[in-house]
Amino acid sequence: MSALSLADLQTAFRSACLGSDSPDLAALVDGERIGADARLRIYRHHVFDSLSTALGATFSSVLSLVGEGFFRMLAREYIAHTPPSGPVLSEYGADFPDFIERHERVRDLVYLADAARLDWALTRAYGSDGGTALTAAALAAIAPEALGELRLRLRMGVSLLRSAYPVDRIWAVAHGKDDASIDLASGGVELVVFQRDDDAAFARLTRGEAAMLVACDGATGLAVALERASDADSSFDFATALPKFLNLDILAAP
Amino acid sequence: MKTSHLIIASAVAAAIGLPGTVLGQAKAETEKCYGVSKAGQNDCQTASSSCAGTSKKDAQADAWIAVPKGTCAKIVGASLTPSK
Repeated sequence: MSALSLADLQTAFRSACLGSDSPDLAALVDGERIGADARLRIYRHHVFDSLSTALGATFSSVLSLVGEGFFRMLAREYIAHTPPSGPVLSEYGADFPDFIERHERVRDLVYLADAARLDWALTRAYGSDGGTALTAAALAAIAPEALGELRLRLRMGVSLLRSAYPVDRIWAVAHGKDDASIDLASGGVELVVFQRDDDAAFARLTRGEAAMLVACDGATGLAVALERASDADSSFDFATALPKFLNLDILAAP
Repeated sequence: MKTSHLIIASAVAAAIGLPGTVLGQAKAETEKCYGVSKAGQNDCQTASSSCAGTSKKDAQADAWIAVPKGTCAKIVGASLTPSK
């Protein structure tokens, strides 16, 4: 029996859980009745099963789009490549969308990485405490001449997602809320993802609305943000956009 | 800049004046995603089949599943055709 320091033992056990067999480790495991390798495989399967299930819960659109078997294959590769860096399962998978984007076997599913980004954004929005939302009353309390310099920010957990594909409709199909087939050529979307009523939700934005929110979140004053919005979209109308933002509760209280 | 301030001020005034009307509109275009992320919140989540590890099957055994078979069948478009 080889002696391993605690640190080496932990490292070897971690590697075993992530797929590498270690003779040094196996030598330390009771091999009666069930062989040492088989015993270690129990932990390995448990790690992969638990993490695949957690990824499937977070990336529910991707799971639905590619199906269970294929998803577990993707998840397994990802887990071996990028094990969790923290203990919170719902925070695991930050770069799973990028992993999907680079993955050779889903190259044809060009929208899949964006579907994963939407899944991730929904999970983040749901898990965020958000803080207080900006209200019309709070805006009214600001002197009109100070509004142009006002720095509006997105609430914690709110995020913007631009896709070249209709990911909102793809999400609906993946979740059985839309039965129509989707033509990818029907165009891209700008989405805002946010927390709402103990849930997460998303809404479409116009190009101008998205440009305004991007500018605001980049610490630009409101007047400049409005110029950016008009530059991006000549039909941008602040008088429509502002009530929409306030009702979606996506802006943070100052 | 003065015009800009005026637009901002009047939009703020309008937003305060018409909360009811707009609220209905905004809600209609919001996609409710209830339950999407709740399952992932359980940090004590365990595999339902932890005994699977006792099988002789290796963890890589179903890596041969090469074709996605899910709702992606409903999504069509020119860019789905392999370009290479």
